Amino acid sequence: MAAIIETSGLTRSYGDICALKPLDLCVPEGEWLTVMGHSGSGKSTLLNLLGGLDRPTGGSIQVRGTDLASLSEDGLARFRRDCVGIIFQQHHLIPYLTALENVMMSQYFHSVPDEAEARHALERVGLGHRLKNRPGELSGGEQQRVCIARAIINSPRLLLGDEPTGNLDHKSTTMVMELLRELRDEDRFSIVMVTHNQEVAAWGDRTIHMDDGCLVREERIKAC
Amino acid sequence: MNKRRWLAHIVFRALVHRRGRTLLLLAVLTLASSLATALGLVSASMRARVAEETRKYGANLVVVPESARVEVGSGGLHFGAIGEPAYLSQEQFLTALAKSGVKGDYSFHLEGALTLKGVEIPCEGVDFAQVRRLSPWWQVDGDWPREGEVLGGGDLTPRHHVHPGDLFEFGGGKGVVRTRVSGVVTTGGDEDDTLFIDLKELQEQMGRPGQVSEVRLLADPGNGSLKDQAALLQRHLSGAVVKELRQVGRTSEDLLGKVQLLMLLVTAVVLVTAGSSVAGTMSTTVLERGKEIGLMKAMGGSRWDLLKIFSAEALLLGVGAGVGGFLLGVVIAKFVAHSVFAADAALRLEFLPVAVGVSMLLALAGSVGPLLSVFRLDPVQSLRGE
Repeated sequence: MAAIIETSGLTRSYGDICALKPLDLCVPEGEWLTVMGHSGSGKSTLLNLLGGLDRPTGGSIQVRGTDLASLSEDGLARFRRDCVGIIFQQHHLIPYLTALENVMMSQYFHSVPDEAEARHALERVGLGHRLKNRPGELSGGEQQRVCIARAIINSPRLLLGDEPTGNLDHKSTTMVMELLRELRDEDRFSIVMVTHNQEVAAWGDRTIHMDDGCLVREERIKAC
Repeated sequence: MNKRRWLAHIVFRALVHRRGRTLLLLAVLTLASSLATALGLVSASMRARVAEETRKYGANLVVVPESARVEVGSGGLHFGAIGEPAYLSQEQFLTALAKSGVKGDYSFHLEGALTLKGVEIPCEGVDFAQVRRLSPWWQVDGDWPREGEVLGGGDLTPRHHVHPGDLFEFGGGKGVVRTRVSGVVTTGGDEDDTLFIDLKELQEQMGRPGQVSEVRLLADPGNGSLKDQAALLQRHLSGAVVKELRQVGRTSEDLLGKVQLLMLLVTAVVLVTAGSSVAGTMSTTVLERGKEIGLMKAMGGSRWDLLKIFSAEALLLGVGAGVGGFLLGVVIAKFVAHSVFAADAALRLEFLPVAVGVSMLLALAGSVGPLLSVFRLDPVQSLRGE
């Protein structure tokens, strides 16, 4: 299967601190990869590099054949809106917009806001009845589902999750993970998800463990 | 929903969400543009008022022919110069006035003399309608002359025992002038010692048809200066000299210029202060919205997209504050004009785009710094809240 992500000798340093030591990684199309590790192990740094939110200090990183290191600032913005959807731990919804409008905001940067499409995306994540509610009126699990709808609205081939269930209780975590699996099975996008939670990691196809900026262990959970 | 409508929608929602800061920015911008509007309106009404007041002082320019001067002397002796009376053609003046584009009211004057009971009396031929318009301070005891009537100066008439209503026969160059004195004029000037007669009558008596010895002109300088008007007329008038008749007009202009400069400086100071205030508030807003900006960048918003959103917010504030500032400015201008100049500041709609423009410019200028920081914001750091 073709690789959606390929890194070779990928590093990221902040001054003297090396947050990510040379990393070779290959993620095939459609795979759900979970990245585990302690705080400061370099997993979020890796996720930021994969999402084009940060630039590597060394090595190469290719997502769907695009060398992210060679992209300009605007090129990276284009990459983020066309190729990836990101789900954050803190949800990061715009507080003055409704659930529907938060999803449409992502469409605005990508192409044109389409209310029907955005409504459909929210219905897919089970929030058809919460379209007009603002983030402050939604539970943590509901907010995270809005984030998922926002992340998938532009049909990205890669979904990145930075501890998406970190702030959720067990029930909400299960709901979100089931939802992600359903969506992944329908749309066949790849997922790279950072988590501390072993139970959450079990939802993926493969898990890599990181420590002190290095990939220390890899385990396959399911055949991709 | 098209992108433009969506942009307007989210900008409006963002402004409403931060209504405290929005109101603060609106207040600052409204005050600044209202001050600019008010000072502009007061300045315009002051100019009109000064022009109106200056008009009461009569003519501000005088046109006299260049007199022929003959040097008198013999050998090494020099006895000085004698001037011959010189005249200016009315037609030449009117042509020059039309060509120069100078606007204003004028009166023709021809100096001469008539005899009464063998005594030579200084007289001046005028068009009474013109003089009456141009010299509103002349006080006439009796009536202004109608056809065949004359006006006697206040000092001249008692000396010659002339009273309003008396009939006289004056001796002129072409014969006898039978006339009636309609009234006695008092001006407090040289005119009090003069007999005023119809211009055409005197031109006929002196054998000078269509010629005058002086033209008094009340020029309207508009937005320019009186000096410029004089120079403009002079360019088209050879054989005559255009002089500023009195300093009142010029002094008023100078004073008006200084007051307007003062107003301009005050406006500039207010605009700079308001700009700083806007910049401070916008900077705080951008800092507060760091996570939002980071999120927009993470969603794929380019620098241009973010620039559009924040500029649209500034421009929307600018338009709102500009309209409000114009209305407030009109009220302030009317109050100032009424209480200081006892006049009304006319509502001039051409100041509306000025007020809106000032407000928009100020909002944008105050946003330049914060917008640059939006450009530089790192999405990862801002999402972390750093």
